Amino acid sequence: MSEHDKIRELLALAAADALTSAEEKQVAEHVRSCIACSNELGAWRPIASELRRLPTPQPSSWLLQATLARAESKLAEQAEHDWNRREMIFVLSFAWLLTIASWPAFHFVSGRFGSLLGPQFSHTWISFAAFTALGWLAGGVAAVMLAIRQRGERRLA
Amino acid sequence: MAVDTDVARLRRGDLNALSELIARYQNRLYRYLLRIVGQPAEAEDLFQQTWLKVVEKIRSFDESRNFEGWLFTLARNLAIDHLRRIRPQSLDEPLADSGHSETVADRIPCKDHTPLDHALAAERRTRIGEAMAALALIYREVLTLRFEDEMKIEEIAQVTAVPVSTVKSRLRRSLEQLRYALEARYPGGTWQ
Repeated sequence: MSEHDKIRELLALAAADALTSAEEKQVAEHVRSCIACSNELGAWRPIASELRRLPTPQPSSWLLQATLARAESKLAEQAEHDWNRREMIFVLSFAWLLTIASWPAFHFVSGRFGSLLGPQFSHTWISFAAFTALGWLAGGVAAVMLAIRQRGERRLA
Repeated sequence: MAVDTDVARLRRGDLNALSELIARYQNRLYRYLLRIVGQPAEAEDLFQQTWLKVVEKIRSFDESRNFEGWLFTLARNLAIDHLRRIRPQSLDEPLADSGHSETVADRIPCKDHTPLDHALAAERRTRIGEAMAALALIYREVLTLRFEDEMKIEEIAQVTAVPVSTVKSRLRRSLEQLRYALEARYPGGTWQ
């Protein structure tokens, strides 16, 4: 491809101001000495100029109000979701704290407070731990099922 | 920068920040969507969906990125999904309806031009607008982003998720197709 052909391919982009500075310089130098390319560039310019002046369609004020109203409702929904999550984290932390705190209390009531940090576990103590773990497991499964259902409902909505 | 401040406020759930962002981008975003889908009702629906997506995703928006590019990418993805869903054939086909409405600024007369000049200019724009609407989606898109939204080539590459070289090639082809369409319809440069 000759230099002339290469420059000719750049002329449309030159009218669109989409060339690098090196390409711009190259085109400018060539166009000064080549009448055909100068005319070709002249043919591209009015097209680029008119494209820049195309009328801008305006969104209606109704559309803007409706968009804001829907966005407001979405923001409120998100805020509620955040609040629920914080609440859930607090309740979970509190429940865990209560569970952990109940273990030494259980020991104390059963007269074994002294062996609180000891490695030995009595039969009752293991049963209590197993019962607590089972309770948490059931709660966790229920929470996951509820979350899946809620997500499905949100998708349908 | 005002946009960055509004984005930070929106991340905290400030509705006024969203209102300001909508006011800032409403015309450009609506025009972009309308150029892609062609139908005002569809563009309006996508306009709303885009802003709802902004609200939904703003917390995951990387603040080091350009908000404008991100916004137009969201709009583009929604528009492309919409077109794939309702008019699978339309991604490569021209628009059926290419109506334009004038802005207030377009109606302000310029003291250097006569009413005849204005009428001729309006006629030229109608011809260009019609020829542009007859192009394939990827060409309409690159023309509106470059000439109407005045985005740089790199920004267009970000929005359309293609390399800069592809954007340049699309831009060149779109201009060539537009020119050929105008010359075919109005021989001898009579479109001017």
